[in-house]
Amino acid sequence: MSLDLNQATPEDIRERAAIDRSARWPVLFFFTSAAAWLAVATLLGFFSGLKLAVPGLWEHCSIFNYGRLFPVHMIALVYGWAMQAGLGAMIWLMARLTRSEVRNGTTIIVAGHIWNFGVSLAMLAVWAGKGRSMPWLDFPAWIAPVLFIGYLMTTLWLIPMYRARRAGEVYVSEMFLIGAAVWFPWIFGTANLLVGDSGSAVMSAGANAWYMSNLIFFWFIPIALGAAYYLIPKIAGRPIYSYPLAKVGFWSLAILAGWTGFSRFVGGPFPAWIPAVSGTATIFLLVAVLATGINFWKTVKGDSDVKLWEFSPTLRFTMFGALMFVVYGILSALSSFFTFSKVFQFSHFVVGLDVLAVYGVFSMMIFGAIYYIVPRITGCEWPSADLIRKHFWFSTYGIGTVVLTMLIGGFAQAGQMNQWDSSFILSVEVGSRWVVGRIIAWLLITFSNLGFFYQLALMFFGRGRRSEGATLMQPHSPESAH
Amino acid sequence: MRNDLWRLLAGLGIAFGAPWLLLVVSPYLGMTAAEPVDYSADDKSAFIGYPDPNMNRFGESDYGREIYGSEGCAYCHTQVVRPTYAGPDMWRIGWGGREGQARETRPGDFIGEGYAYLGYQRIGPDLANVGTRISERLKARGSALTDREWHHLHLYAPRQFEQYSSMPSFSHLYQKVPAAGREDEALALDEEFAPESGFVIVPTEKAEALVDYLLSRRKDTPIPASMKPVGFASSSDDAEKE
Repeated sequence: MSLDLNQATPEDIRERAAIDRSARWPVLFFFTSAAAWLAVATLLGFFSGLKLAVPGLWEHCSIFNYGRLFPVHMIALVYGWAMQAGLGAMIWLMARLTRSEVRNGTTIIVAGHIWNFGVSLAMLAVWAGKGRSMPWLDFPAWIAPVLFIGYLMTTLWLIPMYRARRAGEVYVSEMFLIGAAVWFPWIFGTANLLVGDSGSAVMSAGANAWYMSNLIFFWFIPIALGAAYYLIPKIAGRPIYSYPLAKVGFWSLAILAGWTGFSRFVGGPFPAWIPAVSGTATIFLLVAVLATGINFWKTVKGDSDVKLWEFSPTLRFTMFGALMFVVYGILSALSSFFTFSKVFQFSHFVVGLDVLAVYGVFSMMIFGAIYYIVPRITGCEWPSADLIRKHFWFSTYGIGTVVLTMLIGGFAQAGQMNQWDSSFILSVEVGSRWVVGRIIAWLLITFSNLGFFYQLALMFFGRGRRSEGATLMQPHSPESAH
Repeated sequence: MRNDLWRLLAGLGIAFGAPWLLLVVSPYLGMTAAEPVDYSADDKSAFIGYPDPNMNRFGESDYGREIYGSEGCAYCHTQVVRPTYAGPDMWRIGWGGREGQARETRPGDFIGEGYAYLGYQRIGPDLANVGTRISERLKARGSALTDREWHHLHLYAPRQFEQYSSMPSFSHLYQKVPAAGREDEALALDEEFAPESGFVIVPTEKAEALVDYLLSRRKDTPIPASMKPVGFASSSDDAEKE
């Protein structure tokens, strides 16, 4: 059985090679910048957790305060790592899907530098004490246009790429990617206009929460799903289990996700219908989540007993990310119920859920895409399967640790806080033990990514393995297919 | 092929445009135009209107709010007192307001504030009513500290009050100066946190602004009788506990 059924003609192969070559430098630029920011973000995650558990550490140094480290960690994670990894994947996927070469590589790389510049400014501004305590929008308002310009310069080139494509129905991956490309400016623009010093203080805060949820559901998730819908059928050698189900997944996400976000402030100072609508939409989103999850699972499993994800790094990361997507969908839906939110709202759990979305769902699925894309654009293979395995397992341990400890810790902390006639400090004490889980999780994640950076750097310089066959997680032999 | 794209974009536009308009933009615009409602006709207590247009928002300046934002306070402190169906916040002494006046936070409470720091997590207590809570607590304990002094001490050395507090020290908002002539402004620090003899810690302008902002945190302006929570009475058992 072949792990990469390729019924392509020689022309197809040449065309793909040309596309991959054209995409090489722009996509590698985004992936390597993203990886560098990931290193920064994971270290900051570790240090911010540490400062929460041991606040006396370096306490006379303002830059080490939790209130500075945590937002800076989030900026690096969301804008430095996640957005750029997404852009890199988006460029390659759209090039392949539209079968057009990437023509404006230099402009895209300049755009990437502008984006990096914007993120660096954002980080330094918040770190130096010019932040705004607005989750994911902390940076001073004047930095948003820099990021916007970088983004537009990158994604506007999707338009000519799309126009050059051959006739045919728009494939579901393209729908997700085009959606993401269009949604982000709309969401980012709205958020930057409404959030900040605005005419309505509570709606400004509400729009902030709306932005966080919409960035997850309208940028991170679509890119991850678009990549998965392209890569899973390719690697499994089968078409998607149910294409209509894929479209159901897409449209239910498109219709429902815009209503989510305000449920972060259930019981908050909003007209009661607003968080209620958000909560309902989050629950209905389970349709999209489950439709997608089932589709991926059935496609990968097919009729055979072979567990493809044991061999293909891309499938392993992607399927794990998809599983985390289902978990995230269920936990978010649960958060919309009062019984759950009475305990978990504003607890440590909030951080666990946000990290699950950005790292557990999106990052794992994008790692899967990166493990597929980079060999094709650099013309060499990943040198070490062992490092890929370490990357996978330690990331898994890390994300599992953070979600579990923040879930249990949130329950413990908020449960204690809800004992309204006992002292507040008890909830802090109870919660602090679980914050250690957050510290350990980021340490595991940092460690898991060391091997990834090393291999990515090697591939960047074209020093990967040059031999036949993809790097697999386990050696594959025909006898193992029973 | 091109039609496919336009159909897709139209579909996305409508699917996203609906919540964008109905959930975000419209309520936002509606709330920017909100005017205080005059209840004087039907309330017995010569109540002016809600929200009170004369209420002093931030104490002396807006600067304290910026500092609250730039120090990342909203990541550990919320400013939302939830109604009873969403949580037991209102039962905690001082969280919802003064004794017998506890109520949930309402949108009108934030009018004029630009951005409501509703908060990300509650690693520390809710601050919606910290302006009144601290002074009530200090009075109940017969403490010699004013609430301004308490806030300064707490910001500089949180662990002077609570050994297990996770709050960072905001010592960069304070200065160490020679003691001569500055005893009045000096923070009454315990030995463990005090500087060497001959020196005292005094607040900078930033610290004063931040404390102004914190002292202005009260979401207990009178509301008309029709808006008061039904059948709610706060516990007055033990003023010691928060």
